[in-house]
Amino acid sequence: MRLVTRASDEWPPQLDHLGRAAPAGLYVRGERTVAELAASPSVAIVGARRCSRAALAFTRTLTAELAARGVAVISGLALGIDAAAHEGALACDGRTIAVLGCGIDRLYPRTNDDLAHRVIAEGAVISEWGPGVEPAPWRFPVRNRLVAALADATVVIEASRRSGALITADHALALGRDVYAVPGSPWSELGQGTLKLLRAGAIPIGSAADVLDELGLQITVQTTAAPPTGDAGTVWTALRERPRSRQALAVLPGLTAPRAAAAVTELELAGLIVLEQDGTLVALEPTVSGVGYTRRDQGV
Amino acid sequence: MLALAHSQALVGIDGHPVEVEADVTTATHASFTIVGLPDQGVREARERVRSGIIAASFRFPYERVTVNLAPGSLRKLGARHDLAIAVALLAATGQLPKHRVERVLLLGELALDGRVRPVPGALLAAETARRGGIETVICARASAREAALVPQIAAIGVDHLLDAALWLRGELVLDAAEPAESAHEDEGLELADVRGQPLGRRALELAAVGGHSLLLVGPPGVGKTMLARRLVPLLPDLDGPRALAVTRIHSAAGLLQAGAGISLRPPFRAPHHGASAAALTGGGVGPQPGEVTLAHGGVLFLDELSEFTRPALEALRQPLEDGEVTIARVTGRARFPAAVQLVAATNPCPCGGLGGCRCTTERLERYRARLSGPLVDRIDLVVRVDPPDPEVLTHDRPETTAIVRERVLAARAHQVLRAQTCDNGRLELGQLELHGIAEDARRLVEQAASARSISARGQVRLLRLARSAADLDGAGAIERTHVAEALSLHPRGDGL
Repeated sequence: MRLVTRASDEWPPQLDHLGRAAPAGLYVRGERTVAELAASPSVAIVGARRCSRAALAFTRTLTAELAARGVAVISGLALGIDAAAHEGALACDGRTIAVLGCGIDRLYPRTNDDLAHRVIAEGAVISEWGPGVEPAPWRFPVRNRLVAALADATVVIEASRRSGALITADHALALGRDVYAVPGSPWSELGQGTLKLLRAGAIPIGSAADVLDELGLQITVQTTAAPPTGDAGTVWTALRERPRSRQALAVLPGLTAPRAAAAVTELELAGLIVLEQDGTLVALEPTVSGVGYTRRDQGV
Repeated sequence: MLALAHSQALVGIDGHPVEVEADVTTATHASFTIVGLPDQGVREARERVRSGIIAASFRFPYERVTVNLAPGSLRKLGARHDLAIAVALLAATGQLPKHRVERVLLLGELALDGRVRPVPGALLAAETARRGGIETVICARASAREAALVPQIAAIGVDHLLDAALWLRGELVLDAAEPAESAHEDEGLELADVRGQPLGRRALELAAVGGHSLLLVGPPGVGKTMLARRLVPLLPDLDGPRALAVTRIHSAAGLLQAGAGISLRPPFRAPHHGASAAALTGGGVGPQPGEVTLAHGGVLFLDELSEFTRPALEALRQPLEDGEVTIARVTGRARFPAAVQLVAATNPCPCGGLGGCRCTTERLERYRARLSGPLVDRIDLVVRVDPPDPEVLTHDRPETTAIVRERVLAARAHQVLRAQTCDNGRLELGQLELHGIAEDARRLVEQAASARSISARGQVRLLRLARSAADLDGAGAIERTHVAEALSLHPRGDGL
C-alpha cells in the first residue's frame, strides 16, 4: 500500500479535471502505476448490483474484448456489473482499476475478496480514504466522481431509475466526458436508468465494437462463430425472439421435453444462453473471443 | 378356577403373542386386578370388560379376580386385549369351554354394551397366531377381512361379545371372512390434468423410471403438490414381499381401510412441515413408526421443504441413505423399514417469487444456504415449476397417466432384462459403466463437471439420471443427449 499525491509521477493527470473536487491524494494497492493503468484509452463500467445474468455475461464479454484491445477498465468493485467488468478485463490480462468507497485496507464487499486480490495482483485497487475508514452509504456516490474522472467515457449497463450508476454518469457529463448506455427493455425496471440517459443524449452502444468506434479506435470486427444447428438451433432461435422459460421451450413445435432440455444444456455449456434468476433463458450472441463466459460468482 | 386366552401386543410394527390368564377365587372382598405391565388403557379394561360381560347377559364374578398378561416383560398398550380378557374370565367361571377358548386368538376392544370394536394390527395378529400354531382369530367384523389375508388362518368377525361367546360354545355358526381384495388402481390422479408443465411431467416420468428423488421449485399455487401426487400412479405395483411389508406397517398404524387387501400400490405420505423429528422417523412409547416408515415402498412428499426444522431434516438423512430407521430407546433398539422415494417442494425465494422477486441479495443467499442443507444433496432431480404462460398452455399436449405409465413400465423392463436388482437411482459407477456410456456422453460429463464444479458423487447421480433417460429411449448405452437432458435437471449450487 502506498500514498500517491499530485506531486507524484504516478498521479493520473485526468483527475485534475475535477478541480477543487480532486482528491488530495490516493491510497494505492498494486504493483503497477496508477497513471499507466488509467492512461487513455479507458472506460468506466458501471451498473446495477442486482442485475440480470444476461447483463453479467454481456459485461464480461464487453470488457474482455475492450481489454484485449488495450482499453483500460475502471469500476468500483461492487457486486453485479462492477465485478463482472473487472473479471472480464482480468480474463484478457487487460488493465483494470477498482476505486473503493471505503478505506484502502477494507475490501468491501467481502463476497468479492478473491476478485479484489486478483485486481491488486494485476491492476490496482485505489481509494481516497486511508486505512480504517468504514464503508458508509454516502461514500459510494463520492467515490463515483473518481471512477468517472479516471475514464475517457462511462458505460452504463443496466441501471434502475435511482441507481448510483446515474451519479457516475452525471459526474462524467460534468467533466465533459462521453456517456454510453446499453439500451434495455422499456418494461424492465433495470432498463429505466439507461432509458433516461439515452433520452438525455447518451450514446447507445450494443457491443465492444460500438465502444471502440465511439472512442475513435480502429474497429476490427471479427466475424461471429457459426450459430448452433439442430435442436440447439431451434431453441436458440426461439430465445433470440424473446426470453422464454424452459417449459415454453419444451412445447416448441418439432421439439419434445427431453430434446429441448438436452439442447438447453448444450447451449448453456457453449455460452450461447444464460439462465436468469427468474428461470427464464436468454440468448447470447456467439463470439470468437472465447473469453468471459466462466461465471465464478454464480457457482454455475 | 384358572383359564387361558390368547391375545397379541403390538411393538412398533411387530406382533408379539400375549397369554391372558384369568384366575377367579373366593374371597371376602370382591376385587378385579390386571397385572403384567399394563398401561392405563389396559387397566381401564376392567370397566369395559365388566359392563360388556353383563351386557352380554353373562355373570360377572364378584369375587377375587386376577388377570395376568404374560410375558410380564412386555409393555401392553391400549384396549386391544379387552375381548381376550372378557373371554378368559368367562372361561375361568365355567361359562365357556376352556379347550375351545385356548385354541383361538382374540383381538378387539369392548364397548360398554358389549359390542366389539376394531383395533389396528389385525393382519399382524393373524401372523402372530399362525406362528404360535393357532388357526383361528376372532376379531371385530371390520378387521376380519384384513386378518384373513394371512393364509391358513380362519378369521371370524364378530359384532358383539355374545357372538364370540356363542361361537366358542358351538351354539352359533359363523363363516370365516374372505381375504380382502387388493386395489390395482390409484384413484382419480390424472397426469394430463397438469397442463402447462411439460418439464414437470417429464421429471416425474424420469423419477418413476429410476426411483430418483425430486425437488420441485416454484412459487405457491402453481401445482407442485398436484405434480407430486401424480408420481405414485406412474410407479409399478409393489412386489410380493414389499407389498406384505407395506401392508403390515399400515395395519399396525391402523391406516388400512376396512376391507382393503394387501397394499399393491405404493403409499404416498405428505407430513406437514411442522412435523417433529420423531413424527418423521418414529419414536415415542413403543416406539411408533414415523412418516418415513409409513411411506415405505412409496413416496415421501415434503412440501415447503425450507419450513421443516433443521433437526427434523437431519433426522431424515440416515433413513434416506440406509432405507431403514434405527431408533434407540432405553428399552432397546427398534428398526423400521424406510425405503422411500423423496419428493420435496419449495419456493424459489423467501418472498415466494410470484410476480417478480423482491428479496435482497443477502436474504436470498441465506435462504439458499438453508436449503442446501441436509437434504438437498440427496436430491437427484430439480425442476422449476412456474405459473405456465399462455403460450405453454396453448401448445401443451399432455399425455395421460396410462400412456406415461406404460412407457415407465417398458423402461423398467429394460432394467429387469439386464438383471439389475436395484433402482437406477441406486446404481454404482461400476454398474453404470457396465451397462455402457458412449464416449461423447462421457466427455459431456467431464465438461459439465468442470464448468459447474460437480463433485464425483454428483457425477454418479447425473449418470444414474441419464441411465433412466436412456431406458426411456430404449437405448443400450447412455448417449450424449441423455446426459444433456440429465444435466438440465441436475441440481445447481444456486438452488435453481
